[in-house]
Amino acid sequence: MRIAAGVDVGSTQTKAVLVGANGDGVKVLSRSLMDTGANVRKAAERAFDECCQAAGISQSDVGFVVGTGYGRYNISFGHTQMTEISCHARGAHFLCPGTRTVIDMGGQDAKAIGVGPSGEVLDFVMNDKCAAGTGRFLANAAEVMGLGLDDIGPLSLRATRPVKIATVCTVFVESDILSYLSQGKKPEDIMEGVHLAIAKRTLSLARRVNIEPLVTMTGGVARNIGMVRALETVLGQKIIVTADAQFMGAVGAALFSLEKLGESFESTVWRDHAVSSRD
Amino acid sequence: MAEKPASEYRGSIHQQQKDLMLDWYQRLDHAAGTGDPPTVSMMISGNCVELLEGFGAIPLYPEVNALQLAIRHQSLEPILAAEEMGYAGDNCAYVKADIGCMLKGITPTGGRLPKPTLVLCNFVGCNTYVKWFEHVAAFTGAPLFVLDVPFLRGDQPSQADIDYVVRQLKEVVAQLEKLTGRKFDYDRFRQSVAYSSEVEDLWSQIKHLAKNSPSPFDAYFDAITLMGPLYVYRGKREGVEFFRAALNELKQKVRAGEGVYDQERFRVVVEGPPPYPYFRTFRDMFASWKAVAVASTYSTVGGLWEFGFRHDPSCPFESVAMHMLAQNVTNRNYLQRYDQIRRYVQEWKADGVIIHFVKSCRLFSAGQGDMRDYFTKQLGVPTLYIESDLEDPRYFAEAQTKNRIDAFFESLEHAKRTAGHAVGV
Amino acid sequence: MKEFERTFDSLYEGMQDLSFAGVRNWKEQHPGAKAVAFFPVYAPMELVHAAGMLPALLSGAGDRLDIQHADSRFGSFICSIIKTTMEMAMTGHLEPFDGLLFSSICDSARNLCFVVKRNYPQIYVDFLHLPHSTSESSVDFLAAEYRRIITELERLGGTPVQDAALRRSIELYNEQRRLVRCLYELRAKSPHLLRAWESYVLVRSGNLMPVEEHIQILRQALEYLPTRPGKKRDAIRVVIEGSFCEQPPLELIRLLENAGCDIVEDDLAIAQRWFTEDVPLAGDPVRALAESYVQRSVYSSVRHDFSKPRWEGLAEKVLGTRAEAVIFLIAKFCEPAYFDFVLFKKKVDEMGLPHLLLEFEEKLFTFDRLRTEVETFVESLVFD
Repeated sequence: MRIAAGVDVGSTQTKAVLVGANGDGVKVLSRSLMDTGANVRKAAERAFDECCQAAGISQSDVGFVVGTGYGRYNISFGHTQMTEISCHARGAHFLCPGTRTVIDMGGQDAKAIGVGPSGEVLDFVMNDKCAAGTGRFLANAAEVMGLGLDDIGPLSLRATRPVKIATVCTVFVESDILSYLSQGKKPEDIMEGVHLAIAKRTLSLARRVNIEPLVTMTGGVARNIGMVRALETVLGQKIIVTADAQFMGAVGAALFSLEKLGESFESTVWRDHAVSSRD
Repeated sequence: MAEKPASEYRGSIHQQQKDLMLDWYQRLDHAAGTGDPPTVSMMISGNCVELLEGFGAIPLYPEVNALQLAIRHQSLEPILAAEEMGYAGDNCAYVKADIGCMLKGITPTGGRLPKPTLVLCNFVGCNTYVKWFEHVAAFTGAPLFVLDVPFLRGDQPSQADIDYVVRQLKEVVAQLEKLTGRKFDYDRFRQSVAYSSEVEDLWSQIKHLAKNSPSPFDAYFDAITLMGPLYVYRGKREGVEFFRAALNELKQKVRAGEGVYDQERFRVVVEGPPPYPYFRTFRDMFASWKAVAVASTYSTVGGLWEFGFRHDPSCPFESVAMHMLAQNVTNRNYLQRYDQIRRYVQEWKADGVIIHFVKSCRLFSAGQGDMRDYFTKQLGVPTLYIESDLEDPRYFAEAQTKNRIDAFFESLEHAKRTAGHAVGV
Repeated sequence: MKEFERTFDSLYEGMQDLSFAGVRNWKEQHPGAKAVAFFPVYAPMELVHAAGMLPALLSGAGDRLDIQHADSRFGSFICSIIKTTMEMAMTGHLEPFDGLLFSSICDSARNLCFVVKRNYPQIYVDFLHLPHSTSESSVDFLAAEYRRIITELERLGGTPVQDAALRRSIELYNEQRRLVRCLYELRAKSPHLLRAWESYVLVRSGNLMPVEEHIQILRQALEYLPTRPGKKRDAIRVVIEGSFCEQPPLELIRLLENAGCDIVEDDLAIAQRWFTEDVPLAGDPVRALAESYVQRSVYSSVRHDFSKPRWEGLAEKVLGTRAEAVIFLIAKFCEPAYFDFVLFKKKVDEMGLPHLLLEFEEKLFTFDRLRTEVETFVESLVFD
């Protein structure tokens, strides 16, 4: 079996994935996840190391490593780099066959990617200079509310009368939230208001690419069910989220690695084995 | 995938251009000390430098000063000085850098800059310029003349538009006669218009050389180098000599089959001004893909000549008016810009379009999302949209920008490979 | 007359109505007739009126429309009114209008004109170049520019525009402008009889209704207001400067008044107060309109008259209304207002007047931050 790795060094978290290919097809062997922290190089090494341990193989068994994400040039053991845009498209195509649009919301980026029938990037658009629509923005809002990042999603689902948030400026949204808190608005209504404001802003930008079904959401923010629902509401269509949403970039990078090892595969092969990637 | 930035072509024209620009700065320094020659503050876009020749006056371009500062990584200090006095974070940073320099006595070369004899706001399309020049006049006490150039609403200017600009040009002449105490030398003006038409012809030929594959020069980054002489020396013999030499040098490269890099992997059209504070860094992001600009809109700010327009010494005033009204990208309407880029993509055979949104310049940037929509959805041309600023270093996010550029070329590479084109790894 | 009190609310509804019900009704009553809207700031409504059409002046979408599409066309650092106008176009709200006219106020608005033109080729979209110069040649140019627009309107409406009709239109709009001037005089003299937000609603609602109707309302107002019971209050007389294009939420104007400011002058929705005197009825009416714009406009950040700096205009306004402070109320990303602020501020400092800079967007839902700023400013003046 040929084994290849993808390491995705994001602004907040670092992910590594190993994939293996034999005659039957391709499958995900293992994955690992950790905070990136200040030492980017080290985080990449640790993630890769843990991933190898989880698969029960040694690092020398890995034929090729593709680095992606912001820290991709800091991966000393990587053979080459790809942007996470290419990797997310490839990963989503593999894990969620039929994906035509990827909406990726990570720590400091939000992007929409138009994906072609074989997992190639047709077009992409990323958030502009402000943090609106990113994990950082949500983390900031949660902090003002005194909530944990994992709580805001489920909480906002209980909203009955979401408040109106006009600004998507990270600084000004704080005063909006504080105003509403002092008016006695319910936390769930405020949080839902924040989610809807981000969803509108993100999709308004994302419309630069053709948003066609299936729409798959990737990145750390995909774990926030409130954000996913808000996007669905504004978009008027279903959004696919897999348990591996945040590994999408690393999976894509690992698939590119496999390609470098000379493995050539059509999307049909991937489709057959897509399920095996889910634990 | 991206490689280490390749080193690009440096020819003798790069050195000659430096010498010419230095000479210009020295003359400005001389004018600052002695009041001679007379100087006129002007906007580069649609400049009427020929008119100045009729007085032996030289132009003073605030944008050239601003961009020189930015390239030398000196723009932030004057920007902050201007913000301290009330300019907004969201005001054009060219203006802030220029005003800040004025307040702090900073010049890009260290030499002196004169108080202009006249602040001539040849406002072509850029509303910010009206404010900018008004402020320059207010802070220096120099006299101000606003030459109101009607924006090009249709395909061509009307007779009323042309008459209006010609009348104002004659008003400028009358005012300069008063201010300089010199009589307007019509013959010298006409001679200057003739030089301009020669320079324009040479420049246009240079632009068309980029249709070759490989292109002998980068029509964005290298064109910017050539723009200095184009705006300062267009109406002079030195300009004709410089551009003749440049054309010969580049023609020779074409004959030798030499490109900008050892190999030309991608051909792009670039829209928008560059991020001057990170000029080198930005160029390297394209160099690492061996991507060459074969055409750019920014290089037509001062004039659009590759589609045939030339100044005409047989009707000098009218042709100067025509140039200001219809033959520079900033006074042409937004849809004409779409069409200009479309022609570049098709006739210069480009693989895609790079749109560089600059925060400072709403003239260039407002609506570029729609431009992107036109190219990707209506024409099916791959288009990359990136954002930063032309003067303010605080708006350049290196990692983000590189990420987007890399992703764009990764997808172009994939498209070329699957289409069966031979492309390097 | 007391029932007049209720008109403020209905006028407010009308001016905020994004379905443009008033325009739709007018078109139903005038089968086949067209409606043409202007993007701010100044609008030569007479040209459209004389062509037998309903002229209207847009003011963005306030807080009534979420941006869900326009960001894809206009990116960061572009003001809200550009995006909400684009959003209105993209969501069908501008459907009642057969024509849209933009003018040379700023670079963003100009590019918007051509973006709209590309996306909506079925409607008449045009760009009007209003001169940034005040020479005699500018009058000739603008007269020619108006004639060009008239020709386009004749093509759209199918009927020629007669000088007599244009003169009649000018007369009507002169009357509207005169009544609005009266309203502002009344307010500056007796702020307790007419609050700024009320006067604003009275004026701005006229941008979306036939001028004949608006004149009636203004007349009723001017008849009623002097009889209105109202108590003088102790407040600071302020001039508001900078909201000539994108309009602040009404709540923000109320907030200023409630914090203890009497807004005695402003440049909100300034189109109806554009001229310092009536447009002449004698002679060529097209030339009269052009000459009025070039030679007899009020000062404004989007018009340039280099024979008289705009900061002198502001100084005169302050002195004429005996204002004690200036509040700069500037729309986020409004470059003309940002630039003028620098030289306005310099002048106001020289005059020794206190001033406050507030940034707004047409869409705001919470006002606590702004209220704090305004209250602090007022306190600093009262306890000085």
